[in-house]
Amino acid sequence: MNVTVKSFATFREVMDRQLTLDIPEGSTIRTLLAELNGRYNGLNELMFATMDTLKDFVNILKNGRNIHFLAGLDTPLDDGDLVALFPPVAGG
Amino acid sequence: MSSDERFLRQIPLIGEEGQEKLKKARILIAGAGGLGSAIATYLAAAGVGYIRIVDVDIVENSNLNRQILYHEPDIGACKVEAAEKTIRALSHDVEVDAICRHIDEKTVRDLVRGTDLIIDGMDNFAARYILNSASLDEKIPFIHGAVNGFYGQVTVILPGITPCLRCIVPTPPTWERNPIIGVTCGVIGCIEATEAFKYLTGTGEILKNRLLLWDGLRGEAESLQIMRYPDCIDCGSSAIEQDVRRFRV
Ligand SMILES: [Zn+2]
Repeated sequence: MNVTVKSFATFREVMDRQLTLDIPEGSTIRTLLAELNGRYNGLNELMFATMDTLKDFVNILKNGRNIHFLAGLDTPLDDGDLVALFPPVAGG
Repeated sequence: MSSDERFLRQIPLIGEEGQEKLKKARILIAGAGGLGSAIATYLAAAGVGYIRIVDVDIVENSNLNRQILYHEPDIGACKVEAAEKTIRALSHDVEVDAICRHIDEKTVRDLVRGTDLIIDGMDNFAARYILNSASLDEKIPFIHGAVNGFYGQVTVILPGITPCLRCIVPTPPTWERNPIIGVTCGVIGCIEATEAFKYLTGTGEILKNRLLLWDGLRGEAESLQIMRYPDCIDCGSSAIEQDVRRFRV
């Protein structure tokens, strides 16, 4: 199945701003990130605080919904999903 | 000076009616920094009748790369007082309510009440969550904007209709003194002001249910669809139930 990933702001400094990946059925955000971490050097360090927790500025939207309110890293993915990786900016 | 003449070039877009709506509008600009400078300047120039501007800081030399409301002689002055002076010099028709106060849970109610629109010029998420809650409680729309370096984001929050700030960003990113440049504050502040202009005059389509992400480094903007979280602690049904309970007591 195909999932589209978009990255924003500082994430673009280590990865493409948009890509479509063919991933196996049953994939989750966690397995998607593992796939991305295999492709892009530095992404893991940028996103993860520990192996199992994202840094607090990492926000992931699946079809416009924050995975924080879904099943976090275990949020399941479906064909055609759009996953946005976005570090909210905070200055003013 | 005739104000009719001043708005000659924008009336074809919004009509006399739209101009009248701007004149009657009462807005809160929360924060008089880089974003607040662009927002206040353009909305005062557009003919907004009442601007309440709130900030507790003093003008510093290191603000002047981006905070265009202030000039060298203002260094050391209270920001909102200097802001009022600049806005009044631009337009004697605008009523400016300059409030030198910290925005916190205790002060926020009085600061937002009596306004039609809250516009974000803050520099941290803790204060933004306080404004987000006040916007929901008082049912006053909230235009969120923020910047970091060349990047920025904007969305318009309509209480009870669109996702709130907490639906999009559930936990605050750790506060850091991030790099900041004037042009990004100008771009994002002007997008916020554009949304305010449209909302107040009923023109066009506002940036609701979408998060606009600006990438100045690559000269690109994109808007993402965003969804409301039904159980959001700030705007969800449980938050509303809590509110009802609070009123019953
Ligand atoms: Zn919410």
